[in-house]
Amino acid sequence: MSVNWTRDAAAHLLRRAGFGGTPAEIDALFARGQEGAVSYLVDYDAIDTSSYESALAARNYNLLKTIGLQQWFMDRMAFSPRPLEEKMTYFWNLHWTSGISKVKGATLILNQNKTERTLAMGKFDDLVLAISQDPAMLVWLDNDTNKASKPNENYARELMELFTLGIGNYTQTDVTEVARALTGWTVQNYNKATNYNQATFVNNPNTHDNGSKTILGQTGNFDGTDAIGIILNHADSAGSVSGRFLGAKLWLYFAGTEAADYLVDELQGVYVSSGRMIREVVRTILLHDDFYADHTLKTWVRSPAEYAVASVRMLEADSDFSSAANSLAGMGQVLFNPSDAKGWDWGIAWMNTGALFARATLSNTLATNRGTSGTHFDTTALLAGADASTAEKVVDLLASRLNVDDVSSEVRSSWVDYMNRNDDGSLGTWTNTSANVDKKVRGLVHVMLTSPAFHLA
Amino acid sequence: MPFTRRDFLIRSSGFVTVSAMVPRWAVKGATRFEESVAADYPNRTLVVLELMGGNDGLNTVVPFTDPLYGTLRSRIGIPTGSVLQLDSRQGMNPVMTGLKALWDAKRVAVVTNVGYPNSSLSHFQSRDIWHTADPTLAQRFGWLGRWADSVLAGSDNPLSCTAISQSLPKTLLAEHVRVPTFLSLASYQFQTDGSFPGDHTNQVNAFLAQNGAEYEIENTPSTLSGVGQDAISSSNILQTVGTGYVAMGAYPDNSLGAGLELIAQIINANLGARILYVTYGGFDNHAGEDVSHDPLLTDVSDSIKAFFDDLDGHGKSHDVLLMTWSEFGRRAQDNGSNGTDHGTSAPHFVVGDAVVSGVHGDPPDLAHLDSNGNLSIQNDFRSYYGTVLSDWLGADSSAILGPGWPNLGFLNKSYA
Repeated sequence: MSVNWTRDAAAHLLRRAGFGGTPAEIDALFARGQEGAVSYLVDYDAIDTSSYESALAARNYNLLKTIGLQQWFMDRMAFSPRPLEEKMTYFWNLHWTSGISKVKGATLILNQNKTERTLAMGKFDDLVLAISQDPAMLVWLDNDTNKASKPNENYARELMELFTLGIGNYTQTDVTEVARALTGWTVQNYNKATNYNQATFVNNPNTHDNGSKTILGQTGNFDGTDAIGIILNHADSAGSVSGRFLGAKLWLYFAGTEAADYLVDELQGVYVSSGRMIREVVRTILLHDDFYADHTLKTWVRSPAEYAVASVRMLEADSDFSSAANSLAGMGQVLFNPSDAKGWDWGIAWMNTGALFARATLSNTLATNRGTSGTHFDTTALLAGADASTAEKVVDLLASRLNVDDVSSEVRSSWVDYMNRNDDGSLGTWTNTSANVDKKVRGLVHVMLTSPAFHLA
Repeated sequence: MPFTRRDFLIRSSGFVTVSAMVPRWAVKGATRFEESVAADYPNRTLVVLELMGGNDGLNTVVPFTDPLYGTLRSRIGIPTGSVLQLDSRQGMNPVMTGLKALWDAKRVAVVTNVGYPNSSLSHFQSRDIWHTADPTLAQRFGWLGRWADSVLAGSDNPLSCTAISQSLPKTLLAEHVRVPTFLSLASYQFQTDGSFPGDHTNQVNAFLAQNGAEYEIENTPSTLSGVGQDAISSSNILQTVGTGYVAMGAYPDNSLGAGLELIAQIINANLGARILYVTYGGFDNHAGEDVSHDPLLTDVSDSIKAFFDDLDGHGKSHDVLLMTWSEFGRRAQDNGSNGTDHGTSAPHFVVGDAVVSGVHGDPPDLAHLDSNGNLSIQNDFRSYYGTVLSDWLGADSSAILGPGWPNLGFLNKSYA
């Protein structure tokens, strides 16, 4: 069975492999056909980013502050011509981001993000090694103080539990033995005089444990690189453990549903046969019939950053992402500052009453900004070239633009009702005047952005 | 977690018409469900304080007469002469003067060596186990969520269970009872266009209507639509709880102090709150614990003291019990980073006038550590929970936790 490649399928692909698309972007992606569209997104090295990088640099975000890093990253998500590069960088950010409150050095956090972007689609081994030697990670999970004779288990445990194998696929002995192998991997020049920004990785032989270790059944005088190799090569009766782990997590991230066993097997197979190339696992997911099946549509609860970015991108708004960055804490996700090594739980865990109000407040700020700074969009441009003569037509136009046109007829009716409702609560008839556009189109945007249909991608 | 489009978008039978925009709740006392449970105490409130990251029990309640303590904690041990003595063998960390004052007033029970067997030492698995009270991880809902489902299902009070938290704690995850969740009330409302205040009600109604549709999510108890409804209904009540409130305790300037003050305001407003939940993080002290742990314990101790001072000042402490938990204790021996790795059992605190004041359990047995160098378990955490369920909430604890968890006796059964 092949996929029924429709414009809606292209919109779905752009919501999942990116952060949502404008009508023109969806049209263009649809025109490429399914394989062309997936290749365009996945093989993104072919897309020139130089003009975007120049524009981004000109925005002068303060990359020495957390908020500046957040603005910079959300700007990339919204405006980079390589949406999947940012979506994958964001995947790694969610997978193992380090927290700036402990790491302190903003430059170290920025560099970790750049490492994730550079290696996002490459060989998993290269990425795991780079992150294991990444100064922010070394500080975040304490491997910088992991020394022979009194090892610190923190990174060794999370390397296996959270980053590569998953719980149940190693023992406490493996944790202590991997910790011993990782001794000596630390940072130098990590100090207050440089605001902790100059730290670099160093392998200190004086604190490395040169004794024999037994990791996942193999024994030898292993170092950190050996340990990572053993972990990634680890296989049980069902094959590659890291292949199952990563395949299932990438499937959940893109498809918004738990991967069935046959899908995990398939992705594990691609992981192994490609030499653990992340790009090929992602390509398989985005081309898979199941990725386009009804049961995967609108099942991904947008994280706060995705929510903020999608609203800007789909409304073709301009933004410096300052209001978004300032709203992140209330929405439950301080980018670059998770509370623990696991990061944030996905899915419905994002949604609670307080987080919902924080999202609504952010979207109200966007919808009602009539100025030219901050986050703002052009209401008349949204209606340009379309028949916007009635409430119904405006509702359908905006619902299509925001990809919320899949709601029930009752919800659509409630939006039409809102457009026609007067201040005194009586029912009138919306007409297309500049005053009504300024009031009710902005109001409708706010309402739609707070609907369940927009919290889902 | 899997959802389906069908569940999300097609089940829209619950549409709320604009004319039906009346609150679907009203504040009142015991509901018909509560009345059906004879032993329930509808006026009682349980406050749960989660110490996130795994609190180091050995430096919280110190076995100061055990010579092994100084040996195991050669880097970060608490000077044993400085502890705030609880009995002949154990003492609180010297920074915990606030909690010690409550102890001296016979309002604190210390339950020692609490945990469960065969821990994987994972934060996240252990947190799930404590949240669900199920080491097999088969339970979908939290232990207090299950209690809420048994007692509060059908209640139309949107504030029977509330979390002061960035995300909903799984302890309170329930099938039928929703839990308002927020860190502050500063922006806990649906804001609309300031240029058109006359359109506010229309927008709120549209928000409620689109959230009125049934967007059920497979395998999760909550729904996006329900969150929207509960946000509005709880917001309408909560906007006023801080009005004119004068704190009668000296809350420290940190998120726990702020959270407990908010809880005191909610209690004082008589909203029928049964479970109130607050978290405090930072306890995963793999390195530098000698610098970071005492300030955390200071915050915990001072915040709890201020909270009870505040309740006392408002005449509200009689019906309030506070309990602490953390996903695990820490390794008996400190590591080379002046910190401690993941451990097993730890002591926990129960505070309120209903406690049987004292230390319940032995000091940790430092001479008999397990093969990983961790402490043994004396009191299973389900006994810890079960004692609260039966003696404070009046519930059948075995129905929620399964049978066979002995009551630990740290609550006064005849408290009234």
